[in-house]
Amino acid sequence: MVDKAISLSDLVAGQSACVSHITGRADHVHRLEEFGVRGGTKIKMFRPGNPCIIRMAGNKVCLRSDDLLRVLVRPV
Amino acid sequence: MSPPPEQTTLTVALVGNPNTGKSTLFGVLVGVHQHVGNYPGVTVEKKTGRMEDAGRRYELVDLPGLYSLAPRSRDEMIAVDILLGRVKDCPPVDAVICIVDAGNLQRNLYLVSQVLELGLPTVVAVNMLDVAKKHGITVDLERLERQLGTPVVAIQANRQIGIARLKALLAETVTSKSREGETPFPEPFEDEVTRLEAFLAEHWGNDRRPLPRYLLRRLLLDVNGYLEGVLFPQRDATLRGRLEAARARLGETDYAVPAVETAARYDWASRVLDGVITQPSQYKTTTSDRIDRLLTHRIWGTLIFALLMVVVFQSVFVWAEPVMGLIDTATEAVGGWVEARMATGALQSLLVDGVIGGVGAILIFLPQILILFLFIAVLEDCGYMARAAFLMDRMMARVGLCGKSFIPMLSSFACAIPGIMAARVIQNERDRLTTILVAPLMTCSARLPVYALLIAAFIPARKYLGGLLNLQGLTLAALYVLGIVTAVVVALVLKKTILRGETPPFLLELPSYKWPSPQIVFYRVVQRGWLFVRCAGTLILAVSIIVWAALYYPHNAEVVEAPYHSRQQQFQARLDRLAVGDHKREEISRQLAQIDRQIAGAYQRQSLLGRLGRLVEPAVRPLGWDWRIGCAVIASFPAREIVVATMGVIYNLGEDLDIESEEGATQLHLKMRSATWDGTDRKVFNVPVALSIMVFFALCAQCAATLAVIRRETGSWCWPAFTFAYMTTLAYLGAMVTYQVGMWIGT
Repeated sequence: MVDKAISLSDLVAGQSACVSHITGRADHVHRLEEFGVRGGTKIKMFRPGNPCIIRMAGNKVCLRSDDLLRVLVRPV
Repeated sequence: MSPPPEQTTLTVALVGNPNTGKSTLFGVLVGVHQHVGNYPGVTVEKKTGRMEDAGRRYELVDLPGLYSLAPRSRDEMIAVDILLGRVKDCPPVDAVICIVDAGNLQRNLYLVSQVLELGLPTVVAVNMLDVAKKHGITVDLERLERQLGTPVVAIQANRQIGIARLKALLAETVTSKSREGETPFPEPFEDEVTRLEAFLAEHWGNDRRPLPRYLLRRLLLDVNGYLEGVLFPQRDATLRGRLEAARARLGETDYAVPAVETAARYDWASRVLDGVITQPSQYKTTTSDRIDRLLTHRIWGTLIFALLMVVVFQSVFVWAEPVMGLIDTATEAVGGWVEARMATGALQSLLVDGVIGGVGAILIFLPQILILFLFIAVLEDCGYMARAAFLMDRMMARVGLCGKSFIPMLSSFACAIPGIMAARVIQNERDRLTTILVAPLMTCSARLPVYALLIAAFIPARKYLGGLLNLQGLTLAALYVLGIVTAVVVALVLKKTILRGETPPFLLELPSYKWPSPQIVFYRVVQRGWLFVRCAGTLILAVSIIVWAALYYPHNAEVVEAPYHSRQQQFQARLDRLAVGDHKREEISRQLAQIDRQIAGAYQRQSLLGRLGRLVEPAVRPLGWDWRIGCAVIASFPAREIVVATMGVIYNLGEDLDIESEEGATQLHLKMRSATWDGTDRKVFNVPVALSIMVFFALCAQCAATLAVIRRETGSWCWPAFTFAYMTTLAYLGAMVTYQVGMWIGT
């Protein structure tokens, strides 16, 4: 269960996770990675929903994903 | 004292992620010597400033805040071009100051790696170590400098700590010989770049300057084709084939583009940061987190946001009112002063009615605009704006826009100009354009005088629910709703038609809250306010003069004034006969003034504009308007609110009419109510006609300043022309439907 990657939107407030991978158009994924959201990034859900707010190293980020761009995470 | 001629100015670019304190550092370094303009040909803000240190002169260029030097939009392209010295009229960059956030070094180093690749002398300024410390993060700066291979300095920009050391390092670095551009890319990728370089050299021969290697790498990485389109506006099929083949070859290895870039740069960043940072395994809850728990809450956060906006708008109207009154009085006084000191004639009229009246019409909105800029600047600088965008994103996404469009739209309720200028924060070009194009549909304060006049004169003051609601108030509310609903529909249509396209992911950093810096807020308000005055002022002046001329010429005094002469002389003679204290004098003076107004009205009727009004009457008849209304609407092209004064003049009341005073308003109301179609007893105004005019003004683009600002912000006359065309069409159709349906219900 812990090993399975779930969608970012399935995280509840306060839950910590690690980004597993991102699916979507190559340039959109690239933009997300440049922003610091990439495989291996440790995150914590601050405000779930769409858009959601996630806590990352040193900052908070607001992110809206859709069917074309999905962030998959592994809860820790 | 002028500097010795042999001394040259060194150009230094300031680069950094957004929210790293870059603007603060810029302000600290250059102080009052800053200047805001535009890069040639594009509407990206160009912020430059002068700095002197140890006998050296520097020109500092503040580049837009970026997460990456990958050109995918105009501001990213400009930043890259500046750094590569490819912008006309901008000197090549001699050195770079790269400011990074100590709390987020990993991501900030991504940008640093791109900067270092350019091979320019670079100083890395680590800012906000104090905030990072609160988060439990410590940074070993000496080790960072060693592993990075470029000078590193700790600063605290908001407290001006470390600035002297930064300047010293800059002086040292700038004179050192330029460094070798480092590449973090793996060999197979670099091989492809070399191959591309050879191909282009052969393909072009000596016709074109070879591209910097940085751009060649970017060409390969830019799968979206933006850079290709910019560098090769005439699509080159051979090049396209080459690029695709190279990408395909890389795709077969482990180095597929564009993922190879992030992998390579973050690997590099990890190596550089090895042993540099110590951070807790768990994120510490910060003050910002505690504030955000409330302010980003779906219910409480939204409620606080709504309350905040109410306060902002209250202040905009309440604070601006006395100043607006002052400006109004001052304009009148200046006009009167000039009028009294000049001979009657065309020049006097041009100065008083055209120039002073036109400038006054624009200055009167300046207080509101500046107050709005002030609020926007404060909210931006303290970090709240990102939270507002988060809260509003869900709603705006339904219209096809993102949360950042909300504040520009909301500002447009006071005035479309700050709204359109505030749309700069929207990175996505299509969203930004859509926001700009629908912002003028929001009911701005210039529409209020028009509504106030017509509602008071023609909408019955009926009360409902025991006085809780009244028809006049409901009409006003309905006009606001009309603007909003139309904006939503237009935005949806635009996003589905001419501005269709894939939306890039909506990403927004929520910076830690901080106290707004008075200096940054002050400069932002002053610079934006000045941009507005300069750009709108010149255009509105030109348009005001044209409209004035159309209302003044042909000025045939003999023909127009002759029919009034005998009566005028009669009254004047009686007035001269009466003794000074006689109570009849007042009555006769009033009669004389009335004749003056009638003469003014007669001039208007035979003016070019009056004739034009008659000419367009068939076109405005389906709207229920007579030529006089048509005329007033044409005259109000520079600014909507002018229609009130023009109607007053055309309906023979003289332009001194003060709509604020109860008495003047009643006079105009009566006059308008009794106006008839030429040569008949049929009344011009009834409820459907009044509604039709108001609907027209709710939807039309009768504001030269707005159109000028759209031109400035979009860099082309196409968009203001489009805005004017679509809004005028909507206004015409809306007014026609209103009148026709109104008449149908009425009968």
